[in-house]
Amino acid sequence: MEQSARDEILRKLKAAPKKGIRSRPVLPPLRELSQTKEELIEKFTKNLVEETGVVHRVPDNQAALDKLTEIIQAEGLKKVMVSTDDVVASLDLPAWGKRNNVQVMTPKDFPDRNSFRDAVFNEAEAGITGADFAVAESGTLALIHNKDQARLVSLAPILHMAIVPLERMVPVYERVTEKVFAKKDQLPSQFIFITGPSMTGDIQGALFKGMHGPRRLIVILVG
Amino acid sequence: MEIKTEQFTEAVKRELQNARSRAFLKLMPPVLHMKRDISLATFPDIPAAQAYGAAIREEAMERLPELLEEFEKNALANGAKVFWARDAGEANAYITNLAKERGVKYVTKGKSMVTEETGLNEVLSKNGVEAWETDLGEFIAQQLHRPPFHIVGPAINVPVEEVCDLFMKKANMKEPTLDPVKLGYAARLFLRDKFHHVQMGITGINMAVAETGTIINVENEGNIRFTKASPPTQVSVMSLEKVVPTMYDALHLIRLLCRNCTGQKLSAYVSMDSRPKKKDEMDGPEELFIVIVDNGRTKIYQDLKARDVLRCIRCAACLNICPVYGQIGGYAYGWVYSGPMGQVLNPVLLGLDRTQDLYRASTLCGSCKSVCPVGIDHPSLFLYYRAKDVLGDPYFKGKKRPWTEERIFKGWSWAVNRSWRWNLGIRMVRPYINKKATGGVIRKLTRSFDGWFRSRDLPPLAEKTFHERWNEINKGKRANG
Repeated sequence: MEQSARDEILRKLKAAPKKGIRSRPVLPPLRELSQTKEELIEKFTKNLVEETGVVHRVPDNQAALDKLTEIIQAEGLKKVMVSTDDVVASLDLPAWGKRNNVQVMTPKDFPDRNSFRDAVFNEAEAGITGADFAVAESGTLALIHNKDQARLVSLAPILHMAIVPLERMVPVYERVTEKVFAKKDQLPSQFIFITGPSMTGDIQGALFKGMHGPRRLIVILVG
Repeated sequence: MEIKTEQFTEAVKRELQNARSRAFLKLMPPVLHMKRDISLATFPDIPAAQAYGAAIREEAMERLPELLEEFEKNALANGAKVFWARDAGEANAYITNLAKERGVKYVTKGKSMVTEETGLNEVLSKNGVEAWETDLGEFIAQQLHRPPFHIVGPAINVPVEEVCDLFMKKANMKEPTLDPVKLGYAARLFLRDKFHHVQMGITGINMAVAETGTIINVENEGNIRFTKASPPTQVSVMSLEKVVPTMYDALHLIRLLCRNCTGQKLSAYVSMDSRPKKKDEMDGPEELFIVIVDNGRTKIYQDLKARDVLRCIRCAACLNICPVYGQIGGYAYGWVYSGPMGQVLNPVLLGLDRTQDLYRASTLCGSCKSVCPVGIDHPSLFLYYRAKDVLGDPYFKGKKRPWTEERIFKGWSWAVNRSWRWNLGIRMVRPYINKKATGGVIRKLTRSFDGWFRSRDLPPLAEKTFHERWNEINKGKRANG
């Protein structure tokens, strides 16, 4: 019987000569691993601001809502799409929206993926999400995508706002992936690191923000 | 993609006349290299970080079959489907079939150089499925029918005037503009419509993590995220060397990739897919297909030295520092891969006979080797390929040199093997060679040496060589006691 492509490829690879594996050289640990919480918050902020992210720090959820109100009014936003993750849920954004004359949509409001897709592409002026982690080494947000964190909420609208409890700040990516990929049978369908707005330099090397994804990213650190 | 590796010399002549490209190459690569240096400084020990990257990729190649099996096992357990393709034909047919079975009219594509190798877009198009490149540079190159100028920024050399004309004609742009930001916005609007309604997306894969069965994409624009979020079907294509052992390894390589490539600590989006969407998720693929492509790599793998070429993570640091690339740009290399990484990869994928100039167009300065985050020794590989070619080694299709050239070098080898032959030879040819000098230099000899003098002149041979003067001085010394 003809050998399948898989078997043929693996057979050839296995039949090849071997060199032997050398032990890994020493890799000094990253500086962030020995920094204090405040230093990490400062580094996170500096890194994200370098990428044109806007970072606000507020003491608690109420202050976060006040900050959101401030932003919404400054931006003149009328319609937003929000996740239903635990951070956003703890803020009760639908109620906040009613108080502030903003239409707050969630993916669960829609009967199917196509109608949700239409709304998040065409109607949402901003996407508001929580974040599962914040990584200081590069000013990065980490989002696990699941039923409460749809992918398009932080991607399709031109403005992305993320609320991040500060106890979720970590120094390096490994602290995140150790948790996210801990159980092989419980891996998220998609996991993502977000560092600043979308960008490109593909036209004559001229760098600018706002290619296909959001043009602006606002992060509210809580705690 | 059409293979034009045999037109290197003509292409170089043409490209050197392009003043715009040359101005660009003077500016951009050095800026990228400088940004690379600044971003690498986040590592407490930069050489150690690069050496560790080399160790990861060396181990990944040594353990390649076992890691591919582990990756497949985990990906399948997560609910992804895995397809293995021996060559371009099998890969293209499989992906095209997936599209036709699902009644897909068009696909959006995230950047995938292996699908440029296989010519996927043409096959899709022939079968009634339109393929839209969505990376801004790939989109421009696709619409202009141009090959890539740089492996990371394939249309980065295209002047804004041309982009403006293109977008007015083909991207529904309403107002002409030379502002890259406004041009980018026009592309955003045009391609956003494609993302909105797409039913099947095709991406490449930067890294496949064996430990978890996870595929990773590194991008700045968001087009790959859209391609993975919006449609119900996702196809991700990898050449088989993209596998890495663990998530820790992947993270270190991602740090190196982003710094070496664009001087970023991390690109805007790093997305990691382990399975199709769960039932109650509102977006993401219902079906996730992973295509593992061989297309000549199992052959490269058999050669212990050429195997190192498979370590490459496509960062383009070697392009940005290469003095040759910095003069001629990407078109001259004639295929998907340019710069030093193309010079070591194209010959073993396409054959040493079809890429004769690629592994010879080098000063062997070693800059590429010095910046490579995975420890590829490009100059050593160039010499290896040259030797294989001259010997006519059939495995990689060495061509051997013309008979006359072989005889001349056999003669030369004999003549320089003894110093008395060399010194006698010099005395014999000196009057004939020096007669050809004009204005103090020798600009040409006979016609068969024309290539040697295309870009250099020889100084005339000294009337008395050092050797002769030395002998005279010593004779004089001995005479005077």
